[in-house]
Amino acid sequence: MPYNVIALIKQIPDLELIKVNSSTSEPILEGVPFRFENLSKNAVETAVRIKEKYGGKVTAILYGSDRGTPVMKEAYAMGVDEGFIITGYQESNPRLTAQVLAGKIKQIPHDVVILGNQSADSMTGLLPGMISALLNEPLLSNAISVELNANSAKISSGMEKEVLELEGSMPVVISVAQEINEPRFPPVMQIIAAGRKKINIEPSSIKGNDSTKLLSRKAPKSDRKRVVFEDIDKGAQEVAKVIKEVAR
Amino acid sequence: MKFLVFSDNLDNGKQIMSYLNGKGEFVVYTPDDSKEYADYGASRVVYLKGEHQAKPISELIASEIKSNGFDFVFITSTVTGRDLAAFLSQAINADIIPEVFDVKLQDSKVSTKRYGLGGKVVLEEESNGKIFTVIPGISDAVPSGTSSQVETKEIQRGNVNILSVNPKKGREVDLEKASIIVSVGRGLGKKEGIAQIEPFVKLVKGELAGSRPVCLDYRWLSEDRQVGYSGRKVKPKIYIALGISGQIQHIAGMRDSKIVIAVNKDKAAPIFQEADYGIVGDLYQVVPKIMGYLS
Repeated sequence: MPYNVIALIKQIPDLELIKVNSSTSEPILEGVPFRFENLSKNAVETAVRIKEKYGGKVTAILYGSDRGTPVMKEAYAMGVDEGFIITGYQESNPRLTAQVLAGKIKQIPHDVVILGNQSADSMTGLLPGMISALLNEPLLSNAISVELNANSAKISSGMEKEVLELEGSMPVVISVAQEINEPRFPPVMQIIAAGRKKINIEPSSIKGNDSTKLLSRKAPKSDRKRVVFEDIDKGAQEVAKVIKEVAR
Repeated sequence: MKFLVFSDNLDNGKQIMSYLNGKGEFVVYTPDDSKEYADYGASRVVYLKGEHQAKPISELIASEIKSNGFDFVFITSTVTGRDLAAFLSQAINADIIPEVFDVKLQDSKVSTKRYGLGGKVVLEEESNGKIFTVIPGISDAVPSGTSSQVETKEIQRGNVNILSVNPKKGREVDLEKASIIVSVGRGLGKKEGIAQIEPFVKLVKGELAGSRPVCLDYRWLSEDRQVGYSGRKVKPKIYIALGISGQIQHIAGMRDSKIVIAVNKDKAAPIFQEADYGIVGDLYQVVPKIMGYLS
């Protein structure tokens, strides 16, 4: 049975490329490219695997900016059929993000909505619940495997201490955990084809009234001793001493 | 001020209760069955019975908030806690500040601290937030010396069916409580390397952990042993990083360790910036030497 699946994608700055200004401790974001957020990739992979197994269509929605185009092309190369970029993303405003995404999702016929459980940059973990609430569709949370049967979805949910088998009626929202799959590296031909495919770009019509004020954004101070030995023997001796002292 | 707490993580819950003790009256909702919840100054502890599901629990809490008027809600950052916070925020139309580790309350304004950019920075924010998901570290856990009133409430069935509950495999390790952690990274080079490191872990009476590539990409260790922003956040007395380059993803999970020791072949590896003691060299040569000096 074919399914209409929506995968939600976040674009994030390439975290490893962010340097910190040594005098102000503030991050330098200018010139840092955006990349595909880790768990969003797992979400797209999950959606594409559903299409491959059961048939149907995968639509991806990215709420970000038009700098998200390369990310959407990558999603196309992975197997997404149609993509929407909604521009006007406001950082640190999960309620607005959820509202914008839910608004778009409502316009698209769907059986399953898939997204990551926590994004790699802000880790808020709030989007799955908020979107489920706004759509009034059940949330199957933290999936490490997914199976669809007729009109319901079944997942294994990786909680802190247990694995739950959960079931919900479609349409359903599924958040995925990082261990659900290993996202594919698309073949070159698919990447080339993806480059030619149309991306729908729409500005967000919802304005957020965010009352959160950023007071400071600084790298935490590191007071490490930074004693580095290039002489292995001397280093091993010193390290053994430190371990002995603490273990005592 | 009146606070409501949801906790399904006893250690974190104790910290939140200790933080709130003395700041006003607070009520705790928990699906756990530990009696210890009653020892931290809550006026009332509500033990939740029935299926452990975020949405119906959020409805119970929303109705308690509507009838008794709470100023702020503190929620442990767990799988259920984060979903619950999201549902609650929609139900009572209140802003959430997520993943906080520091909260200062002044009248209706709140200033909070949380990590941003994958743990690279601390965001200090002022907001109208009413709901917080809280990561460990907001306070030390200190029993209040008093006893809370206790009651139970039944959780209604939600719109999700729980078909089965199975204990997680490989969850015998409690990295958060370990006093020495030996953590391996990509520099280990091969799965068999684990067996070569284990005698060292045993000798220092430590726990074995790993970086994201080791636990998730190569699966040389179970995912429960992954230290990092997206894994376990640990603070042992000694953290020994072997063959770990020190990407921010990893640093954010071990930053609070008391002493950090790093061994890496690459002198320029960022881990040395986050280490108290570093040795530039091959871990397979360095570890036996350390063991030699230890015994």
